[in-house]
Amino acid sequence: MWKYLVKKEFKQFLRDPGMPGMVLMFPFLIILVFPFATNMEIRNVRLVMVDNDHSDRSHLLMEKCASSGWFEVLDVNAAPESAQALMDRGRTDAILTIDNGFSQYLEDTRGGGGSVPVGIKVNTVNGTRGSIAGQYLNTCVTGFISDNMVSSSAAAMPGFDVSGSYRFNPYLDYKLYMIPGLIVIAITMMCGFLPALNIVSEKEKGTIEQINVTPVKKTAFIACKMVPYVAVAYFMVFTCLLLAYLVFGYSCRGSYFAIIVYTLAHILVMASFGLLVSNFSENTQQAMFVIWFFSMIFMLMSGVFTPIESMPQWAKTITYANPLRYFADAMRAIFLKGCGIRETWPDLACLLGIGSLTMTWAVLSYKKTA
Amino acid sequence: MEEKTVMIRNLVKKFGSFTAVDNISFEVSRGEIFGFLGANGAGKTTAMRILCGLSKPTSGEGTVAGFSINSEQEQIKRHIGYMSQKFSLYPDLKVWENFELFGGIYGLNDKEIRIKTDSMLKALSLEDARNMYVRDMPLGWKQKLAFSIAMVHDPEIVFLDEPTGGVDPVTRRNFWETIYDAASKGVTVFVTTHYMDEAEYCDRVSIMVDGRIEALGSPAELKEAYGAADMDGVFTRIAGRGAAGQ
Repeated sequence: MWKYLVKKEFKQFLRDPGMPGMVLMFPFLIILVFPFATNMEIRNVRLVMVDNDHSDRSHLLMEKCASSGWFEVLDVNAAPESAQALMDRGRTDAILTIDNGFSQYLEDTRGGGGSVPVGIKVNTVNGTRGSIAGQYLNTCVTGFISDNMVSSSAAAMPGFDVSGSYRFNPYLDYKLYMIPGLIVIAITMMCGFLPALNIVSEKEKGTIEQINVTPVKKTAFIACKMVPYVAVAYFMVFTCLLLAYLVFGYSCRGSYFAIIVYTLAHILVMASFGLLVSNFSENTQQAMFVIWFFSMIFMLMSGVFTPIESMPQWAKTITYANPLRYFADAMRAIFLKGCGIRETWPDLACLLGIGSLTMTWAVLSYKKTA
Repeated sequence: MEEKTVMIRNLVKKFGSFTAVDNISFEVSRGEIFGFLGANGAGKTTAMRILCGLSKPTSGEGTVAGFSINSEQEQIKRHIGYMSQKFSLYPDLKVWENFELFGGIYGLNDKEIRIKTDSMLKALSLEDARNMYVRDMPLGWKQKLAFSIAMVHDPEIVFLDEPTGGVDPVTRRNFWETIYDAASKGVTVFVTTHYMDEAEYCDRVSIMVDGRIEALGSPAELKEAYGAADMDGVFTRIAGRGAAGQ
């Protein structure tokens, strides 16, 4: 009986006009497009510089800023008013003003007396972008000043040379961090939502009634429905990993076995959730809407796009009920840090906990006999 | 004594305060063609769904193919065939694939399925349609096919819920020949319909009004009892009386 049901599901899946194409396209989007789009590094900060000092030193400072790679320099010799006007119209992110007396300040032998004649003005409409732009500029200016200060007292100041060592992602590459997270999102979409829509469409067509009147066990029917989606999920995970290696040279540091186990656990959770939705929906529209509602919550509160640590406490509490949180956390630990199941077992325990809850509910609420 | 394949006593089905099936009792013998008539909303489909194990009765008892409608729904499902009002084979599977799927579900093996498919397609003269997608078939063919698939596991009883809705008279005629054929082999046929000419083809007919069985008997008996020339007249009197009594 199982053989025939699985065969049916595969045939229907492959004959669907959109599905196979979507499955083939998804890994490419995930690896080749989305990591660039979800990049949160602040680059290309637009900068206008106002030079009131007109000295060699001020030119050197401006050159240093321009060559740092963080900025897109719009103007190096703007009038203060036009610089402000540019910022008012949102054309520039930051203004660096070097005041008259900058070179004198550097040559001042008293060293560090009075305030530095440099002004930094940052557009903080986007707070993150603004504060990071400010930090970049600050780093440039203080670096320049400490290198060029002729004062003896400054030289006498003990210099701290702090050099960080970055673990797990030494080049602070955002793409490397996002790829495991994006794989999680893809699996969620594929395995949570599509089986739900599949079952609801059988309800709409009336074919599920024909099945309900046969002696097929409900668990068998549901399990067979899942088989193609499990296959698809593994296809996507491994194509993504392969593409990430071929295109960016990233390889998974942890065990593939752990990835297989976590993927299966996540499918279990999402599929039973999808089934639950389909049990309570009469038509596709209804199911789509419910799924859309939950998918927004699942994605935004998963820690894939924004760190859970910086959420307020109440939001953190909500994330504990989100299966994506655990899957994303585990996938990142496995992919980036080389963890296995032993190190990430709390994630697995939580996933399986949520999964057994939703699965029980889903199977109980699916009724062959009304 | 004649063997009874369906025995129903005091069957009631309520949805909230609405009583869809109101205390009905009847029996159907093996090999009989039993017509289940009634106006829209009279409770035919609800009663039929209970007999098929798709719905639980609120009260009352009965057996279908020897199994209780209250507790043995899954056993009932092994022994019946069902063809619903809404055409429900898989449109994105081919004809032979639908046979394979439903044959497989009822526990036939590959060889049995192949033999069944061949013989049934031959009987329907649809051998050339074997590789056709079901969605591409004309409605009349689909209905014949759905009936065959409901019969793929040689059930004792087959339930047909308005099987000929929207089909032209010639195809309907043709379809009824298939039904006769099945009944002659000892299969009990339980059929709901709105076509009174079809009611004439049945061995016995029951007419439901507002959840109750108002009349039960052979078409000839009913015509005599209600003084009507045909089943159309019988139906109009009974269903009309029900409507007037509301």
